[in-house]
Amino acid sequence: MISKHSVRIILVVLSVVVMAGGGLLVKAQLIPKSFGLYGSYRADAIEEEAQKVVRHGTNKSCFECHPYEAKIHLQGDHKTISCEFCHSTYADHVSNGKRTAALPVKKGEEITTLCLRCHNTEIKARSTIVIKTVGMPDHLKQQNVKLTHTCNQCHHVHAPLKYINEAKKITGLMEEKP
Amino acid sequence: MNPALYEASQNLSHGASMLISNYVFPNDLHVHWSMMIVLYPYITGLVDGAFIIAALYYLFDVKSLKPIARFSLLFAFAFLCCATLPLLLHLGRPERNFNMLLTPSPSSAMAGFGYIYAVSMGVLSFIVLFVYRPDLVERGKKAKGFMKLIYRALTFDSNDLSEKALALDGKIIRFLVGLGIPVAAVLHGYVGFIFGGVKANPTWSTPLMPVIFLFSACVSGISAIIIAYIIIRKMGGYSVDSDCIRTCIKTLTGFFILAFSFEMLEVFSHSYLKTGYHHMVEGLLNGPLASSFWLWQVKICSVVPLILLGCMAFITLKDSIYTFIAGIVSCILLLQVFIMRWNVVIGGQLMSKSARGYTVFHPEWFDKEGIVAVIIIMLIPFMILFVLGKIFPFWAEERKGGIQ
Ligand code: HEC
Ligand code: HEC
Ligand code: HEC
Ligand code: HEC
Repeated sequence: MISKHSVRIILVVLSVVVMAGGGLLVKAQLIPKSFGLYGSYRADAIEEEAQKVVRHGTNKSCFECHPYEAKIHLQGDHKTISCEFCHSTYADHVSNGKRTAALPVKKGEEITTLCLRCHNTEIKARSTIVIKTVGMPDHLKQQNVKLTHTCNQCHHVHAPLKYINEAKKITGLMEEKP
Repeated sequence: MNPALYEASQNLSHGASMLISNYVFPNDLHVHWSMMIVLYPYITGLVDGAFIIAALYYLFDVKSLKPIARFSLLFAFAFLCCATLPLLLHLGRPERNFNMLLTPSPSSAMAGFGYIYAVSMGVLSFIVLFVYRPDLVERGKKAKGFMKLIYRALTFDSNDLSEKALALDGKIIRFLVGLGIPVAAVLHGYVGFIFGGVKANPTWSTPLMPVIFLFSACVSGISAIIIAYIIIRKMGGYSVDSDCIRTCIKTLTGFFILAFSFEMLEVFSHSYLKTGYHHMVEGLLNGPLASSFWLWQVKICSVVPLILLGCMAFITLKDSIYTFIAGIVSCILLLQVFIMRWNVVIGGQLMSKSARGYTVFHPEWFDKEGIVAVIIIMLIPFMILFVLGKIFPFWAEERKGGIQ
């Protein structure tokens, strides 16, 4: 005859099996409908992501309202750089074709910080063929100016060599392009 | 990006450019796996080590471990209860972890932990219940009302303490503990595997990772048991079984020699293989990690305990002195394993994927994953242990028959 104790243990084993099975059943119920249609993800997620409002524009999206900056920008050495990198997102500024809020405009020291994010010699990420870098404060020392000078005192932020080339033209120092 | 966040990101990179060396990718500046991910392998490691002590007694019949076998089961259980806490706290949306468990993917090991954890929790709970059944039956007889119901549930409503019933329990315990060993090994081996499986990180990506994690887990768990045993017994005014301490220390010595050898073997294999990223790993160990790895992990927390353990093995010491040194060694080794986890988890993230620069880690006090959170999480298992102690007595009184 099986003892009462053994019966209890068989019951325990059975209840574990039932619980595990129940868990799997609940799990099967909870899996989203479109899961696994294309792969190990929810197929509906594609549709939902596509519905998301686009927050970034291209440089072109800025041009029609900012023709003055556009003209300078397109002629300068920064023509390949995104306006939004330096000015933050389109959606924070414009909606439905109207300006809704101000974008942050950098001043003084902040501008130096901004420029050095890409132009710091310390950042040895890309070769100088791709992007020219300067070491600070050596660059300012070479120009014989106070170390408190910010980049935009000599470089136009939208066309960095604009003033410098103009100055060189006036002083006749502009080298002939080979 | 909203303007405030945009400003913050710009300031971050400006401020950080003072601290980082050379070129660090913007997404590598911040150490994403912070202290919670250090705590997670640490806690599962404690569970594993404590379980090994219990297994040595219940499965391998190491009789001298009897005084602490039951306690280490409870200790393992209390810490296992909190093993997922650091992970959940690390997540931005903790409730979403269930989504991952609903749809585990064969190409991502992340959901694996949920399943492994559930199995080990089940196995460990049943081991505890079967081991404690005689005590629970006795207590259930004296209990009244609601508590009586709880005791009935915990004993599977079987108050049979006959020779035959206890023999059956013994067999079940042996089976469950036998099953528990691979489960515990998988539980913690998994943690090492998760790191070893990150191919993009040259300090982690080695098959040695699970092995190192397993051995250091045993070291930390056994050390924790030794300290907890000594402190709780002394505080309660009880005697400390020195035979038991000696066996623990011998086991600890074995595991620690293995753990330390493998830790050094890993460094050796890096420096011998000299893979493409070797210059980065070398620079990491000798640069940002120079003090936390070489000084703290290796010299202070490994060589010193090795010498102490050697003394304990070769010199005949009085029991009281032996117990005292055992406590000291265990404390240092607990620290060693914590620093080792730190150096692996945080250290491994201090180098950028650019392979050109190192960043720094700033622990914060009042962060979601800050130092205060770490302290609180480490206190919870002890609270659980305290409550468990009310129902499951830590120390076995002498009993005839059965496997107690
Ligand atoms: C290299 C970073 C950079 C890029 C790229 C850039 N800007 Fe600017 N922009 C600045 C900085 C810095 C100022 C602030 C100039 C100053 O105070 O001298 C500024 C000023 C402006 C201003 C004037 C704000 C004011 O009220 O003073 C406008 C408008 C503007 N930018 C539009 C644009 C547009 C449109 C583009 C893209 C075609 C663009 N910017 C690309 C950095 C940049
Ligand atoms: C719907 C037209 C419109 C578009 C598109 C637009 N802006 Fe503006 N922007 C304005 C107006 C209007 C002002 C405020 C007048 C002024 O100061 O010149 C302004 C001002 C600014 C300023 C000065 C700070 C401020 O907010 O007052 C900056 C910088 C600027 N825009 C950048 C951009 C950039 C970068 C883009 C492209 C992502 C862009 N704008 C697209 C209309 C526009
Ligand atoms: C997003 C990164 C970025 C930022 C921010 C940036 N630049 Fe540039 N800059 C470039 C790139 C890229 C070029 C090269 C463009 C090319 O050759 O097509 C360049 C070109 C230049 C040049 C011309 C170098 C030469 O002789 O060819 C100067 C000068 C310059 N930047 C100055 C600045 C200043 C001043 C600022 C701050 C207002 C700044 N840059 C901010 C990316 C950046
Ligand atoms: C005192 C004026 C002055 C200031 C301030 C200044 N620059 Fe220049 N920078 C120049 C001149 C002039 C040149 C051109 C040098 C040449 O063509 O020989 C130049 C050239 C450059 C170049 C191209 C370097 C190359 O190798 O051709 C970069 C990049 C640059 N500057 C970035 C910066 C940045 C970033 C700052 C702010 C931190 C800054 N500059 C501040 C005057 C200045």
